[in-house]
Amino acid sequence: MQKQLNEKRGFANNPIVKAIGLQRIVVVLAVILEAVLFSILSPAFRQYATVVSILDYSYYITFMAIGVTFCLISGGNDLSVGTGMICYALAGGYLVQHMGWPVWGGMLVTIAIGLCFGVLNGAMVAIMNLPPFIATLCTMLITRGLGSILTGGMAVSWPSRNSAGGWFRSLFKIINNGKIIPVGFAIVIVSIILMSIVLNKTRVGRYIIAIGSNKEAARLSGVNVVKYQMLAYIISGFFAGLAGIAYSATFSSSVAPGTGAGLELDAIGGAIIGGTSMTGGQGSIIGTLLGVFVMSLLKTGLPYVGLQANWQQIITGIVLIVAIYIDVLKNKKTA
Amino acid sequence: MKKMLAIVLALMLVFSATAAFAADYEIVSKGFQHQYWQAVLAGAQAKAAELGVEINFVGPANESAYDEQLSQLNSAINAAPKAIGLAALSTETCLDAIKTAQESGIPIIGFDSGVPGAPEGAILANCATNNYNAGALAGEMVYAAIKDRIAAAEGTVRIGVSAQDAVSESVTQRGLGFIDKIGELAAADGYTVKLEGNEKYVNDAKVESVDDGKIVIETLVPSQVTAELSAIDCQNLLNKSDIIALYGSNQHSAEAMVTANENLQKLGTGEGQVIGAGFDSGAVIKAAVADGTFLGAITQAPFAMGEALVDTMVKAANGEAVEDIDTGCQWYTAENMNDDDIAINLYD
Repeated sequence: MQKQLNEKRGFANNPIVKAIGLQRIVVVLAVILEAVLFSILSPAFRQYATVVSILDYSYYITFMAIGVTFCLISGGNDLSVGTGMICYALAGGYLVQHMGWPVWGGMLVTIAIGLCFGVLNGAMVAIMNLPPFIATLCTMLITRGLGSILTGGMAVSWPSRNSAGGWFRSLFKIINNGKIIPVGFAIVIVSIILMSIVLNKTRVGRYIIAIGSNKEAARLSGVNVVKYQMLAYIISGFFAGLAGIAYSATFSSSVAPGTGAGLELDAIGGAIIGGTSMTGGQGSIIGTLLGVFVMSLLKTGLPYVGLQANWQQIITGIVLIVAIYIDVLKNKKTA
Repeated sequence: MKKMLAIVLALMLVFSATAAFAADYEIVSKGFQHQYWQAVLAGAQAKAAELGVEINFVGPANESAYDEQLSQLNSAINAAPKAIGLAALSTETCLDAIKTAQESGIPIIGFDSGVPGAPEGAILANCATNNYNAGALAGEMVYAAIKDRIAAAEGTVRIGVSAQDAVSESVTQRGLGFIDKIGELAAADGYTVKLEGNEKYVNDAKVESVDDGKIVIETLVPSQVTAELSAIDCQNLLNKSDIIALYGSNQHSAEAMVTANENLQKLGTGEGQVIGAGFDSGAVIKAAVADGTFLGAITQAPFAMGEALVDTMVKAANGEAVEDIDTGCQWYTAENMNDDDIAINLYD
């Protein structure tokens, strides 16, 4: 037993494993395992269209998750991204559908409102010292109601692919003579690279990590805690806005007010599965992307192997328990 | 003491203000998530203006918000209106409130899916689409389009049904009407049917399900009402090798069909394509019907429903006898969707 344990530790201490991170290796393996398993079990799953669909449905979650990762690393959380994303998309879409705004104008408004709520969340957490869970729970409610009010309770249809203004859908997917190119993935990759650099190589990222590890220590070493904590939420608001655009572009469905609650859990779940610590100070953007794929593959794959609706939620719940338990174990080790 | 007086005065002011704004007729809908409700509202407003009455039209944030709708119904009862219009999300949740209204002598008129299973005499009349018949109409149209393919198929053929839920009376009736009609027409042609998928639909359909049925009717219901999960359901159905038709029983499900089809490109009326049928309208579904992605779709008559509701409420308040009104439905296709009698019920 002891020998086995030592071997395990030996694997974890292997320099290559250490460099990449044990959790990240586990997550990559999980993604591969899921893909292989679903492909073996369902012939329909093994096709290009399925890959495109998984990507389609992962864009908006990935964007939300990138933002939430910054909040989690700062020791906070952002529950408002799900209903927020819908609210921002409703506002932008309303201007386009009913007020004759150009699509790019609607997109800018979508992001701008996201930024505003980011500032609001940040101010409540960093300046007013409200617990992040409560502060963003409140903005979750506010954005949910606001979305309905702004549109008079109406669902909003962003322009469809073939109509005037439908070009924005091609930002995420080009359909040409039956050929489908999921170009949105390039936007996701660029965002991942950029935000990885921000997190690891810039002052903003390093200070956010420092605040998440030990807020008091960060303050004492001269970090402007209020400013950088706020920035984490502003980043989250920006990406929630981006998620709103991605959502509107990838789904033909109209954006319906009152929806979005629960979507933030996909984003937070993705970040946590990807190795971001619930208690702050640790996390990576690439890990988050991988975590989102674990969730997206489950969601798309399970129906293909005949596991309906409620089973998906049960399995997703179990996966999250495992991920959080790994986080707890990691923290124990460092403590 | 002065403070107390001020508070009391302020409270009185608030109460008198709300009393002054109280409308004669309270209408509690299922919310405004789908544009369909805007057309109901427009019809109700038009009739109210015509009759010179005041209405207050409310609805919860979404169609799962049972509690929110209940509190809206309670507020409506507290406003002591001449009549209440109600489209209940869940009859059970509203039961106590309905009894209170009954005891207070406020007549309730059901609309849209009405208030199924309400206690005897509580609902004076319903102004609604007969959803079962509407689903059956879709079934009839789809069957006519696939009849030859069923005959030509060597093995099984599959007809998919994407349903938003298995709880709401309107959604389930539209699904069951569709399934039963297909079953009836199939039996008349000598085919057997196998039902698969969501248990509610499998158990409640009148169709006799046999294990080696030639026609498989599979109904999928998502665990949560999100665009993504319903699109995945539709994709899953479209990917089955024996699928020949797919039906989405409300705006949400029909839009999910369009999303799913974007990557798969399987829906259409051409050779080897999957026949699609939707329900309700909205820009997305109208475009799908117009460009041939869908064979057609069912539209209710929401504007007429809103008008009929207000008309019936006023009659009930005046003590006149009222009765159920079927506000009707239509099958629209690329060919007839611009006809005046249909276009008035299609909304963006």
